[in-house]
Amino acid sequence: MFSPSFLVWAVVASALFAFGALFWLVLSTFRFRRPHPAWTTDDRAWKGVQYAFGRGMLPQEKESAGKHRLTLAAGILYHSGIFAALSHLGYLLLGAPVPAVLSQPSQILFGISACCGLALLIKRALTPQLRAISCPDDYAANVVVDAFLLLSLLAARDRAWLDWLLIVSLIFFVYLPIGKIRHCLFFFYSRILFGLFFGRRRVLPHPGREAQG
Amino acid sequence: MSEEAKKADVLEERIDALKTEQLESALRHLRSRLDSRDAALAHSCLRCGLCAETCHYYQADPSIEAHPAYKLNLVLAVFKRYFTVVGRAAPAWIGAGELDQAMIRKWLDSLFGRCSLCGRCFLNCTVGINIPRLIRAGRGTLASLELVPLELQSTVRTAVEKGNNMGIERQDWRDTVEWLQEELAMEVGDPSARMPLDEKGARILYTVNPREPKFFPLSLVAAAKIFHAAGESWTFSSDCYDVTNYGLFSGDDQVAGQIAQRLREEVTRLGSQVLVLGECGHGYNAHRWEAAEWIGNTGTSLEMKSFIEVMAGYVRDGRIRLDPSLNTKPVTLHDPCNLVRLGGVIEEQRFLLRRAVSSFVEMTPNREQNFCCGGGGGQLSMSRFARRRLEAGRIKAEQIRATGAKVVVAPCHNCVDQLTELNKEYKLGVEVRTVAEVVAKAVVTNG
Repeated sequence: MFSPSFLVWAVVASALFAFGALFWLVLSTFRFRRPHPAWTTDDRAWKGVQYAFGRGMLPQEKESAGKHRLTLAAGILYHSGIFAALSHLGYLLLGAPVPAVLSQPSQILFGISACCGLALLIKRALTPQLRAISCPDDYAANVVVDAFLLLSLLAARDRAWLDWLLIVSLIFFVYLPIGKIRHCLFFFYSRILFGLFFGRRRVLPHPGREAQG
Repeated sequence: MSEEAKKADVLEERIDALKTEQLESALRHLRSRLDSRDAALAHSCLRCGLCAETCHYYQADPSIEAHPAYKLNLVLAVFKRYFTVVGRAAPAWIGAGELDQAMIRKWLDSLFGRCSLCGRCFLNCTVGINIPRLIRAGRGTLASLELVPLELQSTVRTAVEKGNNMGIERQDWRDTVEWLQEELAMEVGDPSARMPLDEKGARILYTVNPREPKFFPLSLVAAAKIFHAAGESWTFSSDCYDVTNYGLFSGDDQVAGQIAQRLREEVTRLGSQVLVLGECGHGYNAHRWEAAEWIGNTGTSLEMKSFIEVMAGYVRDGRIRLDPSLNTKPVTLHDPCNLVRLGGVIEEQRFLLRRAVSSFVEMTPNREQNFCCGGGGGQLSMSRFARRRLEAGRIKAEQIRATGAKVVVAPCHNCVDQLTELNKEYKLGVEVRTVAEVVAKAVVTNG
């Protein structure tokens, strides 16, 4: 089909494209006006950011997660698998062997993660309210990532699938900044803004509860 | 045709008559009011749908139009269509949409009619998107097209033209204060007790919701009684005493800034040190937090406090003493969204109530996780959405009923109004009071 080195370089190029496009997307937000200087930060605001990335991620702190623990668990496993698969891809691109101790657990994680992704896709397709707020990108992004996970599993078990993994990886990276997968960066951006907002206003972390011990 | 239908029709006529240039101008307005934070947030929604149950509108009516993600994505659709590369190239793929008459109608119905800007979806969003901020940007864009529901716009206009949102004439306000001063003197048994007006150099300038002089004058006496007991140096202003700022709800930053600036200038004119914001949730949020974005830092270090914080300070400093046996009925507390979740005044009202009443029971959930009563976001003004507002308040009514309380305390006059209506609608059989009223009743006067 393609020579392995061509595919490797194509994936590297697509990954660079993804990083570049994400960087450009972040820069493009700064083409909008700057927040008013009055929007200053202080120590409390930064405590809010710590909260946003720490306790604020727990289901008991966030009703949307607390009331949907199954979806939360699926989401955590899904994203863990994606990060593991990206690491796995990194080893493959560098031509380095995956450490033996990680081989078996990562394959299990890829499998579970792909199943979680599929479950989230089915949930989106079958839940009327979720379907109503969805657009083609929501399905496409999920399918691309699920395929990436599935082929990571297959390639980890049998090198014959490597070309297919590289092709799907290429698609994954090219699609990343185009659709909702861009949240891999903007999620962190939004959480920082969330923390600054509630921290600055002394809402989070809960000062009263802290005082009450 | 009913009055509401006529008002709705005026907006319908305006929408029908919209020209391309006006829509282009609205887009320019949207573009100019969004800042880099908003643009980042606009890239962040995953449409995971987990925000659904956080919204009291959705709880009351689980239709797609009430879904927070749907409402948010009405604004984001336009953002993507005009301000992103993919949205321009393949709008349908990422859910981008034109700003046309159909979209304007959806915005009007959902952004004004199905959202109280309470921020509960924001607090609980899996990503942390400031949904009310973006919805308010949509409202502001409608304001630029003169498509704010007329009842709300009329409240804003009255505040700008008359200095207060109820259109109370200056002399009427002064007469009311004079009359209430007599009530205060009788209440505290001290003929020298005063409700000062325009007293230059008074430490505190106290601002109120104009609904108080109009409909609840005794809540002003309650506040004055507390100031009197604490021996505070304070004053009302004859001209600038309105703590409300409905520009927050109409989304019109320019008007909101104008209203906020007026209060600041009055503090300077009177030489006061502290601007005390009466029990008004959105007034507190608007002046304490949002106004800086509308008018910037004015260079002065104006101290601004909620009256709740001031009262709590008096108790802590021993300037007033409270006797809880003077309030024997079981009391519960409603947390106004703008004061608590978006304002950060969370524990002081609890501190006060625990000392002012003999039986205090919390609602569930409470504090920053409270449910909106349904009266915020300008909903109380927009009579065309009154039925939805009352239905959206059902979850609050259920919360109140579950506490078994006989008195509901709400440190916000808009909330007091909505809770009073919910009391009738859902036959709760409770009294609705402000914190000041409850605290004033518990104040122990010397002798």
